[in-house]
Formats: sequence, C-alpha cells, structure tokens
Amino acid sequence: MSEVKLVAESRESFGKGAARKLRAAGRTPAVIYGHGHDTRHIHLPAHEVALALRIKNALLELTIAGKSELVLVKSASKDPFTQVIEHVDLVEVKKGEKVHVEIPVHIIGEPMSGTVLDFEHKTVKVEAEATHIPSFIELHISKDNLAGHHYLVSNLIVPDGVIMELENTELVASVVETRAGVADEESNTEATAEGEATEVAAAADDSAAE
Amino acid sequence: MLIPRKVKHRKQHSPKRRGHATGGTKVSFGEWGIQATTSAYLTNRQIEAARIAMTRHIKRGGKVWINVFPDRSLTKKPAETRMGSGKGSPEWWVVNVKPGRVLFELSGVSEDIAKEALTRAIHKLPLKARIIKREEGDA
Repeated sequence: MSEVKLVAESRESFGKGAARKLRAAGRTPAVIYGHGHDTRHIHLPAHEVALALRIKNALLELTIAGKSELVLVKSASKDPFTQVIEHVDLVEVKKGEKVHVEIPVHIIGEPMSGTVLDFEHKTVKVEAEATHIPSFIELHISKDNLAGHHYLVSNLIVPDGVIMELENTELVASVVETRAGVADEESNTEATAEGEATEVAAAADDSAAE
Repeated sequence: MLIPRKVKHRKQHSPKRRGHATGGTKVSFGEWGIQATTSAYLTNRQIEAARIAMTRHIKRGGKVWINVFPDRSLTKKPAETRMGSGKGSPEWWVVNVKPGRVLFELSGVSEDIAKEALTRAIHKLPLKARIIKREEGDA
C-alpha cells in the first residue's frame, strides 16, 4: 500500500471551540501517539484526509515542521449524519515494523443462484509489515456450493508476509438460502392472523376503557 | 408485523424526537442500507410495508435486515371523547427514529436492483432517508 503524503501543523489551542474553528477552516484535528512518545496534537487538511481514509489502514507520510514521519490511521470519528470526519487517531510506525490490523475480506466469484453469502467476519485480524499491509484478502467462492457450505479462515488467500491471527477453523462466511421470497409469503399469512388478533385486542381494550 | 411479545408497561410517555442517532448509524450486516435524515415515529405497519416493497422487488435473491424494532406504544383517545378520564388506549407500536439511524440493510443483489428496492422502501416511510453503502475505510 502506498503512502499518502500530507502536510500537518501542530495544534496550540484545544477544546471543542478550537476544534470547531479548525473544522470550519477546512482542517481536521488529529493526534499522534505510539513508540512511548508523548501525544502530539496536530491538524490536517480535511479533504485530503477524507480521500485517504476511504481505504482501510491508510498509511500517511506526514510532514510536521519540516520533518517527515510515517503514521498509520488507528481510528477516525465521523459524524454519521453529515459524514464529516471530526477527528483522527494516528499511530507512529517505522518501516519494517510489524503491526496488528484488521483487513477487509473481498469475495471473488458468485454464490449459487437462490443463495447469498452470510459473513461472520467481514474483516480479519492479521499481523503485517506496516508498509506492506494488503488492502484486502480474497475469498474465492464457487457456484457449486449449496446452502449450508462454510468458508473457513483456511479458505482465505493470505499474501506473503502476512500472518493470520485467527485460527484456521474459524468461520468466515456461510452460504445461506435467501428467505426474501419465502418470508414474504409467510408474512402475508401472519399479517392476516395478527391483524385479526390486534382487532380483537383493540376491541377488548375499548370495552375495558368504557 | 413486528410487535413486542410482552411489555412491562402498556402506556408510555411519548419519546423525545430531538437530537441525532448515537448508535446504529453504520451499515453493519449487509452491503447497502437506508439511513434516516429526519426524525419520525416509525410504526410496525410502515416497517412491514417497506420490507414488502423491498422483498417484492428483489424477488428471491438477496437478504434483508431490519435494524429497528417498534417497541414503544403510542396511545390515542377515541374520537369525540371529553378530555380527562385517564390516558387513551395503545393505538400504534412505534420506533423513535432519529437522523443518522440505519433502518434497513440489504445484500446479495446487484447495485441497480439494490438501489431500486431501497428507493421503493423509502417511499413507504414517513421520513426523508438516503441510501448508503457499507464503507471499508476507517471513517
């Protein structure tokens, strides 16, 4: 995964007022920690950060006061409604250092008609070099597998240099029969039965109230 | 239709509708989701109507998740009744939806079908909503 180069500036003022002013000026507040160093408060360009954070485990090359350093995105808080990134936690890393991260699982292929893949693990925990974290791990699925088939961690294609932290017997996904059509038919019959029941209950309530 | 099996108190105060959702704001199970952008009381009938609209469009493919449950009763007094004499009888079962809440999720269908199915579901809801996709990034 290639690094995204950003220029950061250190923060002098703190608190929600200062943070809001930064966000209004198109900057995102962030902190850097790790390697036993003191936590440093910085701010980054909001738009570039939003683009960089579209991928999981983004590696950033920050330039702070002329010095360049590598950081990994540990977590980010986003406003669920406005979709604005409010704050980013960054952890210091060095080239060649091993880190524990979660990587998304991508499906290659399609399940059998009338079935869908039900994920148990949409992401898997791995140990990898900070500068060589894969963007995703592939899971090849086949149309021949019937409903009830299980895909385990051992079925994942793990790239070289990546150590899987889950056990090989752990379930990643299972093939399940789609219930959309069946549930629809069932609900129609249930709805009629429930409708009658609620009407009876409502009538009983009214008579009790009177 | 979704209805609580048993409740501790049949009649409750009406829930507050201010603020934004604090939980259930991301697509957690499926690939696509419906996110509320305004607040509303969503009744079990509306949830069921939206689900049926969605499942009829996707036919037998795909999987649907309903992320909300109508566990609060709203009461109503009968028409042409004088005020007083206690609280009315439970009339609806609702969920208090606030902006940001993901209501339904869908997976196992193509993008076109998913968007059309979710749009049909949104038309059945008493609120403004948008279609969102599961994000892989950190934010």
